[in-house]
Amino acid sequence: MTDFEDQLRRALERKEPSQDFTARVMARVSSKRSPRSIANWFHWPAWTAAAIAASLLLASTGLDLERRQRLVREQGEEARAQLIQAMEITSAQLNKIHKKVQGAAR
Amino acid sequence: MTPSLAQHAALGRAVVDSDRAFESAVREHQAMVFSIACHFLQDHAAAEEVAQEVFLELYRHWHELHSREHRLHWLRKVASRRSIDQGRRRKLRRHLSLDDAPEPFSWMPATDPFVKRYIEQILSKLPEAPRMIVILRYQEGLEPAEIAELLDMPLATVKSHLQRSLALLRRKLPFTAPEESI
Repeated sequence: MTDFEDQLRRALERKEPSQDFTARVMARVSSKRSPRSIANWFHWPAWTAAAIAASLLLASTGLDLERRQRLVREQGEEARAQLIQAMEITSAQLNKIHKKVQGAAR
Repeated sequence: MTPSLAQHAALGRAVVDSDRAFESAVREHQAMVFSIACHFLQDHAAAEEVAQEVFLELYRHWHELHSREHRLHWLRKVASRRSIDQGRRRKLRRHLSLDDAPEPFSWMPATDPFVKRYIEQILSKLPEAPRMIVILRYQEGLEPAEIAELLDMPLATVKSHLQRSLALLRRKLPFTAPEESI
């Protein structure tokens, strides 16, 4: 190696990064690894996932059925109330007519 | 099948052992990786960032790289490429030709830190490929064939870049032995 090349080699000697360089690399490594442990949730056995999905489906179907039944019941009650009110009105009218007829007959 | 407690424990021990080996590899190679980036980019903070990224990538490929030599080769390759990419992205420096570089001193002792800085400045004026070739040749002591393989370049191109770069640098850095200079 010539003197010139030797100068280059000395100028390009390796240098150390900051003292906390390794610690920072390891911190970044562990921060990247933590999502992997969350991902382990998805490594549950297939039957567990299937059971959870089925439970959720049953629960949502049951809730929907109950909601529909309540709606029908409320509609029925409302119709009954309307019918009773109509009968009350009709009965009052009939009473009035009956009284007029009786008055006319006297 | 769910892993048993013993399997979990073994897995945990393997992760800890693997992390220790990785940390030891970081300590062993950090100066090499950082210096490639630092000599190329001439920016301490940017070089540290590149070096960190290189080691994070090493972690992702850790189980594919079985021997120390394999890791060393891989780290040199990734450090070189990442430094070149970072240099392209940042475009930190106005690109000057070597002819624009300041004239050298008449005598420069090799150990003078100002001379080192001066050489780094002159080196930073080289285009990216010749600059990285000079760094790999004189920082890492690699042969032209190894550099060609590392940078995916024909050997003739590496040799030609090296010769031209040395001629240009010699013109700007007329180092001679003190007895010749004084």
